[in-house]
Amino acid sequence: MGRADRRHGGAARSAALVVVLSMACAGIAQDLAEFESRVTQFTLDNGLRFIVLQRHEAPVVTCYTHANVGAVDEVTGITGLAHIFEHMAFKGTRTIGTKDYEAEAIALAKIDAAFEAIKAEKAKLGAVDEQRLAQLRREFQEAQQEAQQYLVHDEFDEILKQAGGVGLNAGTSSDYTVYFVSLPSNKLELWMLLESDRFLNPVLREFYKEKNVVMEERRLRTETQPVGKLLEEFLAVAYKAHPYGEPVIGHMSDVEAITRAEAEAFFRTHYGPSNLTMAVVGDVDPARVQTLAQEYFGRIPYRPAAEPVETVEPPQPGERRVVVEDPAQPFVLIGYHKPSINHEDNAVFDAITDIMGSGRTSRLYRRLVRDQKIAMATSGFQGMPGQKYPGLFLFYAMPARGHTNQECEQAIYAEIERLRSEPVTAQELEKAKTRARAALIRQLDSNSGLAELLTFYEVLTGDWRNLFKQLEQIDRVTAEDVQRVARTYFTTKNRTVGIIETTISESES
Amino acid sequence: MKSERIHHLMLSLCLLAVVGLAAPVLATERTPDHRRLNYPRLNDVVVPEVQRVTLANGMRLLILEDHELPLIYVSSRIRVGSVYEPPDKVGLADITGEVMRTGGTTSRTGDELDDELEQIAASVETSIGQDAGYASVSALKGDIDKALAILADVLMHPAFRDDKIELAKMQHRSSIARRNDSPRSIASREFDKLIYGPASVYARHTEYATIDNITRGDLAAFHKRFFGPNNMMLAVWGDFDTREMVARIEKAFEGWEKIDLYLPAKPEVDYAWRSTVNLVSRPDLNQSNIYLGHIAGLMSDPDYAALTVMNQVLGGGFTGRLFKNVRSRQGLAYSVFGTYSSRYDRPGVLSMGCQTKSESTVHAIEAIVAEARKMTTEEVTDEELELAKDSYLNSFVFNFDSTAEIISRLMTYDYYGYPPDFLQKTKESIEKVTKADVLRAARAHLRPDAMQILVVGRPEDFDRPLSTLGEVRSIDVTIPTPGK
Repeated sequence: MGRADRRHGGAARSAALVVVLSMACAGIAQDLAEFESRVTQFTLDNGLRFIVLQRHEAPVVTCYTHANVGAVDEVTGITGLAHIFEHMAFKGTRTIGTKDYEAEAIALAKIDAAFEAIKAEKAKLGAVDEQRLAQLRREFQEAQQEAQQYLVHDEFDEILKQAGGVGLNAGTSSDYTVYFVSLPSNKLELWMLLESDRFLNPVLREFYKEKNVVMEERRLRTETQPVGKLLEEFLAVAYKAHPYGEPVIGHMSDVEAITRAEAEAFFRTHYGPSNLTMAVVGDVDPARVQTLAQEYFGRIPYRPAAEPVETVEPPQPGERRVVVEDPAQPFVLIGYHKPSINHEDNAVFDAITDIMGSGRTSRLYRRLVRDQKIAMATSGFQGMPGQKYPGLFLFYAMPARGHTNQECEQAIYAEIERLRSEPVTAQELEKAKTRARAALIRQLDSNSGLAELLTFYEVLTGDWRNLFKQLEQIDRVTAEDVQRVARTYFTTKNRTVGIIETTISESES
Repeated sequence: MKSERIHHLMLSLCLLAVVGLAAPVLATERTPDHRRLNYPRLNDVVVPEVQRVTLANGMRLLILEDHELPLIYVSSRIRVGSVYEPPDKVGLADITGEVMRTGGTTSRTGDELDDELEQIAASVETSIGQDAGYASVSALKGDIDKALAILADVLMHPAFRDDKIELAKMQHRSSIARRNDSPRSIASREFDKLIYGPASVYARHTEYATIDNITRGDLAAFHKRFFGPNNMMLAVWGDFDTREMVARIEKAFEGWEKIDLYLPAKPEVDYAWRSTVNLVSRPDLNQSNIYLGHIAGLMSDPDYAALTVMNQVLGGGFTGRLFKNVRSRQGLAYSVFGTYSSRYDRPGVLSMGCQTKSESTVHAIEAIVAEARKMTTEEVTDEELELAKDSYLNSFVFNFDSTAEIISRLMTYDYYGYPPDFLQKTKESIEKVTKADVLRAARAHLRPDAMQILVVGRPEDFDRPLSTLGEVRSIDVTIPTPGK
């Protein structure tokens, strides 16, 4: 977040960037060449990758971890675990977050045993001993109490915050999990120490309490949010085989049942150093970054990366539909299966996103909102639920008051039909290309944004340079490409539709 | 960079000395103690100087060059706001701000502006909020004259075409229809009404009837009354030469005449201290949205620094007491918050709360109130004070890592009559805050015995009846449908 403009010593490099990126004649290759001169990449012996980008505008740095593991790597019974682990990664290590790890470890094992005993008792189908269950629950509570005495609450967060860290957070998607913080740049070594310890010696303390937090998060994002609820149902219908159909937050019963042992096993499988890519962006010396990286992250023993998902979603035999009944106002979501980010048609879908769904000049806005006034908002875009594997191109509309899902659905189909039956105009294509380039330039002024983009492209497409090269691909998109892609993918058979059907009238709500 | 290298060398020597005794620490899995790290000196923060220029027509400019990228941004502040709209036309300010841009100008339709701007990946937008109007530009440097011309045209000659007024009204009506779809937005909206009063300009909101009442004439008159060069500030930053930019802006706004300024005082907040318990019953929910608090104060209050520290200890991100006790220790909520919010020119709100499963609603309310009470009964610990102050001071550099932030902050201070060095002064005050200051400020400003509590949820499933906290008032959030 932010435009940096500090001109302290050694920051004379900006001028070059200006010349190179100026819209007059800049080629993508030139942009990339200038940018590349500020990037240093290295891989440690254990397979852990680093991308360092120098930006000396202000004495700050963003440190970013991209773990190549997401909800897509879960299996039945442990949905939500990638996200739970992300929460647990803030709970400290063998030295951080504890007063006495040896004693604490024994107390934590007692909690696990009590939890397993409760699960075993509950599993006695038709023969659950309620008294014993109550006793086990008391033991579970007592074990948690006992472990509590060794805790230093939220110490990991406190250390970074005290050092001036801002924006400390993490996120989990279907494809990956990220951890990030921005620090005054002289605190780089602190991040190296903490982050390496986080993935070397994690201790999943307060595990069962944190699962309660995650259950509240599920209620907040999915169960009490009509569109969240719709999206979960929609994905479950759009995918019958591939794990993209599972919610990142997990099913409530899975979140309840997951054990600490399962979380630790998940960590061992998916958090090996060869599955981690770090970005360090800001006022740093790359040589020093490399020295510190070797010193701290070099300690993590090599583990082979886990296998990618092998399940392939089979083609749909026909349109799929799902309805969520809710007191909320109507909403319609339409999705078409499409290939992953590495498919050659990806840039064509980017152009379609621009032409169909971006801004007041987009085709959907003009038809549904401006002209017909049947929707208050509408768009179309790619990227959900993920991009590593074949995902979806989604269209949505929020019907205007007094208008229906059906009207909006038909209007969207009319625009899709236009895309299939006639070529887009040269002006529309030109606009898409200009905006893609401008959007990239606008992203180049933020350490945290750059750290995210560099790791994203490096891990998902094999090379961070694709952040720039994607523009070349968009530049090559023709009107024929758009028409071919629309005809290939936007078919009735390949479609999933989800709607919120309002259960009671507005005046009763 | 030089200083960092030198310090790195010193650091290596230190590590050898300190850690050397404890054997080959870095070669094993055992991570060294972070407290033993020595940090290099932080490179200097050079805060660029913002240039100020006042044009002959009274428009005040703030200007800052930033040549990192070939982009130019404009952000303006106009003294206007929904506080000046009549109560039977709530929504007038918002619709005026929107249709100024979407309805086009006397020479070009809004659709033509959309086409022209989006073709060059630029944007010109206007809006009117509660106590300020905003206008912004984002453009590649080569397109700045085009974008500035559109900005000036929109501010000076909006046409308020009927089709876009209808569009804006449609969107407002649709938003009204949807305003109960999110429990959180019900809670925050109704909580503001509890604090400021339902008719207050600081809490009231649109209804179908107030939208129906708004005419094209109202929009034109509202614009005419408030939009003039002597009633706005314009900040511009990016890749340009300052002198040239001033000339460009002068040219773009050529012929715009000063207006007579008529700015009625903004309404005062008259708060009656009281404890209340309020319920919006939503049988379809399994999680309660909880808001509680009371009126708060101004940023100009002498206690502002102490209250800033108090906020850190109470509700500061992942390290505040609320996060620790309500989230980490008890697992009651994903999101828990508590801030005594000070505002520039009218009292803010103490707002605390969380979302928790229905079955822990009353328990969570009590846990949150207990944290507010504790602030008024005990001094914070040495560690808490140190964490709050260190965190503020060590992260201070992030106030200067973006040009947009630097120039916007100056404009905001100016707009509300705060000194340009307000941030620096606040920092100096925070350095001096003691535990006793925090307790004194908490006692003076927090009233745990006079909380207004609001819950949106399913009362049948609460752990205890809400009435254990006091007499419960039911709030009906049914959306009034227009008479016709």
